[in-house]
Amino acid sequence: MEVRENLLYTSSHEWVMKKNGMVRIGITDYAQDHLTDIVYVELPEINKVYKKGDVLATIESVKSVSEVYSPVTGKVVAVNEQLENDAGIINSSPYDDGWIAEMEIENEKELGELMNAEEYEKLISKDL
Amino acid sequence: MKTALYDLHKELGATFTNFMGYEMPVKYRGIQEEHLNVRHNIGIFDVSHMGNLFVRGDAEKISYFITGNASKINEGMGEYTMLLDEYGYIIDDEVYFKVGKDEYLFIPNSGMHGSIYNWMRINDGLELKDMSDEYSILAIQGPKVDMAVMEVLEKDVLPEKFFEIRNIPEGKFKIKTDISKAFISRSGYTGEKGYEMYIYPAEAAVEIFRAFLEKGEKYGIMPVGLGARDSLRLEKAFMLAGNEFRGGRTPFEVNLDFFIDWEHDFIGKEALKKKKDSIGEKIAPLEVIDRGIPRHGDAVYSGEEKIGIVSSGGYSPCLKKGIALAFIKNGYRKEGNEVKIVGQREMKAKIVKCPFVKKGEC
Repeated sequence: MEVRENLLYTSSHEWVMKKNGMVRIGITDYAQDHLTDIVYVELPEINKVYKKGDVLATIESVKSVSEVYSPVTGKVVAVNEQLENDAGIINSSPYDDGWIAEMEIENEKELGELMNAEEYEKLISKDL
Repeated sequence: MKTALYDLHKELGATFTNFMGYEMPVKYRGIQEEHLNVRHNIGIFDVSHMGNLFVRGDAEKISYFITGNASKINEGMGEYTMLLDEYGYIIDDEVYFKVGKDEYLFIPNSGMHGSIYNWMRINDGLELKDMSDEYSILAIQGPKVDMAVMEVLEKDVLPEKFFEIRNIPEGKFKIKTDISKAFISRSGYTGEKGYEMYIYPAEAAVEIFRAFLEKGEKYGIMPVGLGARDSLRLEKAFMLAGNEFRGGRTPFEVNLDFFIDWEHDFIGKEALKKKKDSIGEKIAPLEVIDRGIPRHGDAVYSGEEKIGIVSSGGYSPCLKKGIALAFIKNGYRKEGNEVKIVGQREMKAKIVKCPFVKKGEC
């Protein structure tokens, strides 16, 4: 299961990429593998402010419905509209083409509460 | 519990799920990919979580426990049947075969072989042998199945008719094996042409599974997990014990009364006759109109009135839509009727025809 070095992670299996004052958000390789084939994604609303822990998106796979929680507080400035037509991109490319949303973060400090790659790897290895 | 093929599944990169106490592969590469490969090419499944119960005895005595009639089955053939309790409710459904004179092989659902063993033991005249842990079962399914099977077995051992079963004598394998006893039947749970192999000792199935992957490669064979097994059967509207019935359901409610032979005596017969005209709901197939996937336990509404409950729901990789089997009240099962499915989310659906996906349509 791929865990990328340069990303931050949550215990609910979202990843966060820092991009000059903004963040890009998606779900991890581990998460997509466990959800199995993703069929539908309900994307967040652009310009809406989500608090840390709010439901940002809903992912429906052939096996279950799961929620993607906002890893930080901020305003959504972009969503990956490609997922509307082919949500399976999250399975094939969870860290690149399968990103979910981009946000302007309110408080950079919140990033410090997230896990680094090593910590996340440890978390998922408990499960293997 | 683990099947004899657990380590091989792990080696093949399976993701596991606990199913009735067994650690079973839910998928190897992807549920939809595996599903479509069975519809278009061929797939191999480990279904060793199913039971193997050998029953020796008089056909009439055996038939007392099932809705089918074993006296009408020729040696080398099988049929789909149900076991009922005294109230006419389904305990389990299964396929059984006549494998010898007065000898039958029952394939109970996962986790049911113990209860069925005990249930049938009440009859003194029957000799029962539960071999569930000693046998492995492999299912090989898909339109290209014959080509792959003939790489592993001599052609003349393949059963030709649906539900035919044959003993595979030593010397009919084209590969080296440690098998000391094996059967092959033409049967399956996918709606595609296919075979199921019953292998003793269980461990000997590992090399058979490997041989199929290797020799079937040119026909596009893939290992298939329980995820696709479920979506394959749902597209064909096959019932799943535990979903469509887990006590409290008669064959009428699940549209399986066709499999009752009324000419013989069986447990539950009298109760069933009385219930026949007072059935209030039956299984109906639903197809989602907008986006969404129905799930087991979702409620079904017609306007404001609750008219049913989803027993099996899922996504159809062939239709690219959500589909479901649901118990729907009398008067609401007409094809084309629009309903609302309400669970974790809400979606519009309509009553359609069985099966969801017809032969060759995918």
